[in-house]
Amino acid sequence: MRLTISLALLLLVGFSSCTRNQQPPKQQLTIAVVSGVEGEALKQAALDCEAETGIHIDVVAFPYANLFEKELIDLKARTGAYDLIMLDDPWFPRFASEQLLTELTPWLQKRRGPIPLGGVDFLDSSLSLCRHPYQTGALYALPYVGNSQLFFYRKDLFEKHSLKAPETWNDVLAAAKTIYEKESTGANGGRIYGYVMRAAQGNAAVADFMPIFWAFGGEMFDPDGKPMVNKPEGIAALEFMIELGKYSPPGYASFNADDVGAHLLQGTAAMSINWPAWISSFSDPAKSKVIGKMEFTTMPSGKNFGSPEIGNWLIAVPRDSRNTQLAVDFLLWATTDEQMKKSAERGNPPTRDSVFRDPELVAKNPSYPVQLRSLESSRPRPRTPYWNEIENAFGIFISKANSGTLSPAEAMNQANAEIEKILQRAK
Amino acid sequence: MPKSRRFFSAQNRRELLLPALFIAPALAVLLALSIYPLIYSVTVSLQQETPGGTVWSFGNFARLVSDSFFLTAMAHTFVYAAAALTCEFLLGLGLALLLNSQIRGRGVFRASLLVPMMLPAVVAGVVWRLMLNPNFGAINGTLKRFGVNTESLTWTASPKLAMLSVIAVDVWQWTPFVFLVLLAGLQAIPQEPYEAALIDGSSRWQTFWHVTLPLLKPSILIVLLLRTMDLLRVFDQIFILTEGGPGFATETISLYIYRTAFRFFDFGYAAAMSFVLLALTNVISAIYIKFLQAKEVS
Repeated sequence: MRLTISLALLLLVGFSSCTRNQQPPKQQLTIAVVSGVEGEALKQAALDCEAETGIHIDVVAFPYANLFEKELIDLKARTGAYDLIMLDDPWFPRFASEQLLTELTPWLQKRRGPIPLGGVDFLDSSLSLCRHPYQTGALYALPYVGNSQLFFYRKDLFEKHSLKAPETWNDVLAAAKTIYEKESTGANGGRIYGYVMRAAQGNAAVADFMPIFWAFGGEMFDPDGKPMVNKPEGIAALEFMIELGKYSPPGYASFNADDVGAHLLQGTAAMSINWPAWISSFSDPAKSKVIGKMEFTTMPSGKNFGSPEIGNWLIAVPRDSRNTQLAVDFLLWATTDEQMKKSAERGNPPTRDSVFRDPELVAKNPSYPVQLRSLESSRPRPRTPYWNEIENAFGIFISKANSGTLSPAEAMNQANAEIEKILQRAK
Repeated sequence: MPKSRRFFSAQNRRELLLPALFIAPALAVLLALSIYPLIYSVTVSLQQETPGGTVWSFGNFARLVSDSFFLTAMAHTFVYAAAALTCEFLLGLGLALLLNSQIRGRGVFRASLLVPMMLPAVVAGVVWRLMLNPNFGAINGTLKRFGVNTESLTWTASPKLAMLSVIAVDVWQWTPFVFLVLLAGLQAIPQEPYEAALIDGSSRWQTFWHVTLPLLKPSILIVLLLRTMDLLRVFDQIFILTEGGPGFATETISLYIYRTAFRFFDFGYAAAMSFVLLALTNVISAIYIKFLQAKEVS
């Protein structure tokens, strides 16, 4: 589905927006970005663009925890303060369903005739996130950073205990058990845990559960949109997660990303689901005790083929932007393959096939082929405007089951009832 | 000239104008920052967003009763506040009595006791989060050195110990405040009642019960009132330490209100919950004031 022609077209046009755009320097854009490596890359791009064209670009960075509320409050109040915003993809349905974003296609057409955006070399799984309704609807954003979960494991330990690479969740459980038992006096006098995961309530627990849930054949909603997490598949998946928890460090029911990262970097845990942002730390001697020992692969399978969660950063133009055309031009330019390569050099996985296959980048990021495969097989979190609330409720019950206050069946039943209540209220 | 006319005489008007001018800025600030937001939040709490638009109703308040998350969070808040307040008060009073007497080096004690209070709650939260970490933390590390099996001591990750942990952190941080206020109260008590008690031959316990405690009552009232209000709206330490977890084990009402408003964007429901919290805080404060002041008068 990737048309090289449209890629070339986009490239050309993209160039022009920042090199040929010799409009008066009074023009101005304000961009809301997330603090951290993802927003930093866009900020650098904005500085480059400013230097080239004289368009004044203000970049406002917010921590992840505040970005959503800042953007939503501002867009709902229709102040037009931002011309471009970065969005974490689970937020997108909320913004799109409340009609707070500019539909891009008419603006693209206005610029330069018909543009088949569905066919540029953006990955399908990434571009689908930018459509409302998912995959089929109108285009309201473009994907900028292409994260999807990967499976991390210690290949040295797998070799030592002659374990085969984890292809299924049963492989994972068997390996976790073996390592837990055989490495009981490992690093720093303590043991090496077979597995480590995040089961803190909210986003953390849900993110580390979904790949298991999907592999076991679980689905959050039936075709009519009714929750169905308490079906036998879902309960079996939660039971399995708790089984894995036996080989995880004590207290994992309150772990967040930093706890999991610490265990992996200290070499006290052997396997984990994690995000690509962690990959570079494993080769950093200041942080890592496991340099060269960590392997990154795609998600293990179960009844179903393994799917990781996708987690992309999107860029959208608010409906009330006062410089829509300029904003759209900048958006196109910032997501050209040339600019995305720069973003990748600054540490962000791309959302374009061609950038993932760029030989220079692959040489620097040996995990890119795996990341590309992972992204292609990824699944989005359910596309609902109420995802924050649903994820919170679901996460509470997953965490409760993992900390032993509820049985898996009770937890899933209560979660299902709570999710149903949320959806009922929304009606 | 009739009286009413004289009232509006030029001179009178000038006399009224000046005080009005002085009051105006304060009034404007109060209106803008306090009264307007209050009225606004009342209206927000009475609105529900539906796909068909905004509807005026008591729906947000009705929802409270059937929301198990709200009820549990409320219960957690009261357990937390009651436990922390009791510990802080008893410890603070004990310390104040101890350091009110002439013991050597009490200046050093007093100064060092104040350190936790100086830390921002977020800093205290992060420090304790690290110390309580079950695998790398200082507390389990120390216990291990003394040969204690720490496998089950997961502190903030254990549904049983998490609440205890967050209470302990609050006690650690805020006992000094209770101590400070009560110490000031103790030092303001004149010597004469004690001399009279001594002459009457009362025991140390009797002196404490019949002289010290009644005279300390105003300070006790202040400290209980301030701590209760603070405890009922606790947010920052718990947000850092456990974020309400594991599961829902330490979710207090402020955390739930925050999530509802800024994560789920349901400001109406969040406002409704805030008003319930406000009402409860007021009732409790009124009880304190009535109880502790009435006795003072009698």
